[in-house]
Amino acid sequence: MNEIPDFWRTEVFHPLSVHFPIALLLVATLFKIVSLWSRNKLWPQAGSILLGLGILGAWIAIYTGNQADGIVSRKLCDPTVLKEHENMAYITAWIFTAGFALDLALTYGLLNFKKNIFKFILVLGMLTGSVLLGYAGHLGATLVYQQAAGVYTPSEDCLEYN
Amino acid sequence: MKNAILKSLFAGLVFMFFACGETNTVESGTYQGTVDEVKPDKTEIYVKTDDNKTLELYFTDETVLSRGGNEVEFSELQKGQKVEVEVEKVGKRLDPLSVKILE
Repeated sequence: MNEIPDFWRTEVFHPLSVHFPIALLLVATLFKIVSLWSRNKLWPQAGSILLGLGILGAWIAIYTGNQADGIVSRKLCDPTVLKEHENMAYITAWIFTAGFALDLALTYGLLNFKKNIFKFILVLGMLTGSVLLGYAGHLGATLVYQQAAGVYTPSEDCLEYN
Repeated sequence: MKNAILKSLFAGLVFMFFACGETNTVESGTYQGTVDEVKPDKTEIYVKTDDNKTLELYFTDETVLSRGGNEVEFSELQKGQKVEVEVEKVGKRLDPLSVKILE
């Protein structure tokens, strides 16, 4: 008879940590887009804070994803999806990290020329990152819902729940 | 200064896209190649085959690692070693049945 596994397994920490940076980075992008038109400084400032927090969360999610990878890869029927998910996650995290560096450079006056162009490049980069973030998320979801990555499958007779 | 910053940004983005690894799926069989990367924490290796394909192999309980006919520990594996791997294709996953260190 199967045993119900412990909930706090290594592979569970990835889904627990990954949704915060997704939300933070998407909202940060939205705020930075609004800041291109709005004169209210709240938008770019809030966007920068969310971007910083989102990046921190993204790298934590990559760390927990790497931990989970070692466990779930051995059970997947198509680990190439996981590899693509991993690649997309790294590209996305680096794009947002580069965006954050650019944002800091703009905020602290390290880039004192063509500021508006750099602001536009920042938003463009964040938009690209958001699209890739969505795709990475989609791949993550297919791993769970099509290949049951990290998911315990109960026995047909559910005896382990008695 | 301006050019240096712009070039750094561009170079960084190009690096990001090319730094990501791509792996291949092959049919069940025996392949020779070179160990491209070893990840001891995941008991995982990447093997670049002689026909330039990259195999990502996660060791299982059934994987036999040997050198000179003797079974050896995973820690014996190092980047750059020539190896012969026998893999079983399960779906698109490659399960290594045996890994022989050739040098």
